[in-house]
Amino acid sequence: MLPILWAFIVLAGLGLLFGFGLAIANKIFYVKEDNRIEEVAKMLPNANCGSCGYAGCKGFAAAIVKGEAGNLSKCRPGKLETTYNPILEYLKDHPNDDGTPVNIKI
Amino acid sequence: MVVAFILAIINAMLIQNVVLYRFYGICPFLGVSKKSNEALSMGLAVIFVIVIASAICWPIYHYILVPANIAFMDTITYILVIASLVQLIEMFLKKYSPSLYASLGVYLPLITTNCAVLGVAQGNTDTNLTFGMSMANAIGTSVGFLIIIFAFSCIRVRLEASNVPKCLKGIPIALITAALMSLAFVGFTGLIK
Repeated sequence: MLPILWAFIVLAGLGLLFGFGLAIANKIFYVKEDNRIEEVAKMLPNANCGSCGYAGCKGFAAAIVKGEAGNLSKCRPGKLETTYNPILEYLKDHPNDDGTPVNIKI
Repeated sequence: MVVAFILAIINAMLIQNVVLYRFYGICPFLGVSKKSNEALSMGLAVIFVIVIASAICWPIYHYILVPANIAFMDTITYILVIASLVQLIEMFLKKYSPSLYASLGVYLPLITTNCAVLGVAQGNTDTNLTFGMSMANAIGTSVGFLIIIFAFSCIRVRLEASNVPKCLKGIPIALITAALMSLAFVGFTGLIK
């Protein structure tokens, strides 16, 4: 048979095989990521001062989205106009998957 | 046979060291050697990829590509294997060690084009090694990489704390250190006759 045909078959076969393997691995190693954490972290001052009691702004953002943080004002460098209100607004528009609002106050 | 296997490992590990003698895989060597634990995990990831990639690439070359008369397709096939393995290790780290995943950053997917990995797979089949010998080569090379990147990171941690002339701070002194390590490794030449 023509080598070009073999080249096609072998590469396509290997590609399919690895593709399937990776698809299965993706199912096994699946990590649920919440896009809102990233967005909220962008709106925080990103000073990573730690005065909120969490590990950096990313940690605080994760706690806010999970509804564990309680009050946004734990973020000391944050301002009402530029930090708290935009985050509240954003979370109002992006509720949890089951439709319940995110548990957070200023 | 066993002696030849061990000698091949030592040869690939120390005498023809992948970073300091053959100059493969310099990019993670300089990029991920600022902290010892990151360097260690980078080395382990590279060991995983090199050994598994060699174990897969050798049979593919000898039992599929050569009989089908398409040995010229070797490079792209190896890249396919390596890229899939790196993707796998990326998923694994993302799930089980997010902090490590974040600290390795872009250097993790860059293992795909790490010339140490492709160099081993390609070298194994180009020089017509047997399967056992190519595994010895893979193990020796990757362990050599781990040793060097770890030793280098330990030196760099101490360099950070030492009084380096201002114009040499950071990367310049690291490159000088790498050059001195390379010189030191010339001393291993002639270890095996």
